[in-house]
Amino acid sequence: MTSLVLTITETLRYRGALGQWSWVLHRIAGLGVVLFLTLHVIDTSWSVFYPELYVEAIAVYQTPLFTIGEFVLVACVIYHALNGLRIIILDYRPHLWRHQARAAWIVLGGTVLILIPVFVLMFGHVLNFYNDPERRILPLAEVLQSQLPFAAGIAVALVAGVLYSGLHGVIAPTGKDAGRERPVGSRWEKLWWSFMRISGLLIVPLVFGHLAMMHVIQGVFDISVQGAAVVGTDLINQSGTSVEFVANRWNLLIGGIAIWRLYDIALLALTVVHGFNGLRYVLTDYTSGSSLLRRGMVYTCIIGALVLLVIGALALLGTIDQTAIEMARRAAENLHP
Amino acid sequence: MDVTFRIRRLNPEIPGKDKPYWQEFKLSDVEPTDRVLEMLHRIKWEQDGTLAFRRSCAHGVCGSDAMRINGVNRLACKVLVKDLGAKIQVEPILGLPVLKDLIVDMEPFFAHYRQVMPFFVNDTPLPADGRERLQSAEDRELFDDTTKCILCACCTTACPSFWANGSYVGPAAIVQAHRFIFDSRDQAAADRLDILAEPNGVWRCRTIFNCTPACPREIEITKAIGEVKLAIMRGSPEGIIQVREVKHEG
Repeated sequence: MTSLVLTITETLRYRGALGQWSWVLHRIAGLGVVLFLTLHVIDTSWSVFYPELYVEAIAVYQTPLFTIGEFVLVACVIYHALNGLRIIILDYRPHLWRHQARAAWIVLGGTVLILIPVFVLMFGHVLNFYNDPERRILPLAEVLQSQLPFAAGIAVALVAGVLYSGLHGVIAPTGKDAGRERPVGSRWEKLWWSFMRISGLLIVPLVFGHLAMMHVIQGVFDISVQGAAVVGTDLINQSGTSVEFVANRWNLLIGGIAIWRLYDIALLALTVVHGFNGLRYVLTDYTSGSSLLRRGMVYTCIIGALVLLVIGALALLGTIDQTAIEMARRAAENLHP
Repeated sequence: MDVTFRIRRLNPEIPGKDKPYWQEFKLSDVEPTDRVLEMLHRIKWEQDGTLAFRRSCAHGVCGSDAMRINGVNRLACKVLVKDLGAKIQVEPILGLPVLKDLIVDMEPFFAHYRQVMPFFVNDTPLPADGRERLQSAEDRELFDDTTKCILCACCTTACPSFWANGSYVGPAAIVQAHRFIFDSRDQAAADRLDILAEPNGVWRCRTIFNCTPACPREIEITKAIGEVKLAIMRGSPEGIIQVREVKHEG
């Protein structure tokens, strides 16, 4: 913890150039996206497991707090993607380093340039929704309450990671480096370094496509509108439930292939592993003083990634039937009595 | 001109001064072309003899007077007052234990340096004529930049990854390793690449670029680290650096 405080205060005090601030923004943006990813994978899985809860989760998304969060999220994703590309180019072509500052400006400028039309379109959805006299918005207290299980889950993952690390310390107190004459190189870190860069490249088009569909073209407000077209399909949301929206997309077959399921499986696997390994980088950077905490943070990241991968995969392989949509319809009616 | 110095001080032997604190000194008759080191000397000689800092050659060669001056790591003997203005803030470099005032314990830094085997390794018999091992000008060019390091620690103590985690080997040690890894006459590249492939080796570098502008010798540090990363990825330093055309003199 002292290491984190020291790094924050001294980063603010050190007159580092744009490269330093790019790194700060990259980390903050990455952390923001991982936090949302955690909520998003879990609540999207409810469309399969707990249709009523999914209806409530989407209603939570359609509140001012989450609307602001949505704009921040999109900004974070775009900045993290563009700056990630800058880092990838500089890491694989180190001789281009002289252009790094200009590249950092291009990343900032590019982020703003992309965000202007994206925000204008997103704002259109926002105006549409909030100007609609029939719109129904959950009270803030309810929204915050609905996030408590996530906060609790994150706390449990942190505590479980540290506890498991303590157990590990008792069982194998010497560590794996004991008795080794000199380092032999870590194949794992080498693999992770490549993975972060290659997965980053693959994620950019997938995530940009996902954002375009769900936040720009369709918008989170339209996925629970009766009679609205379902983005990426030629279907109409008959019941006007968010559950049917997901069902229509996941059940769409093109040439016998459920393309949106495949798309989301790729997105899930790449973003969760990329995100939680990034989280591991951040958390272990600032816990190097204590092997208990450092190892605990690694376990926390593994727990988090596994939970999301398993839940997400089970949902993506599950089926949403007419009963689920009916349950969702009734839940939506009860949500705003 | 008049200049105000604000100096971060600490004296572990005197109660009340054993926690870091700021002290101001005013200097008049300062020439714009005076160096910060000369001003520190004037403060020590004219105002407060207890002010402690390191310096040896005073000409940017020995690397002993690295300090954070106006927020950036530099050598006090290489920075002029006119480039800083009338208010100058000096503090010890960050990430190494402060012993007294501007003096830090360099031992952790040198421990990382020793870790990368910063010495020439070649156990093959000497050439038949018993003279030096020859190398083409192009091969020499590959590591020319990293031979310039004077181990002042400006780069390592400018690195946020090093601030967070003192077990990261840091930019300077990687620069020193680079000097041998890309030397065609050296035979321990594989060992050094293994050492730097450890979790606290090159992977803690997040390509932040604080090290490069901090270097008083203008070594392209982030580039050198990047080349070492690629050498680890490929398992060999061969072909990582594009050979530049070297003009043969004479």
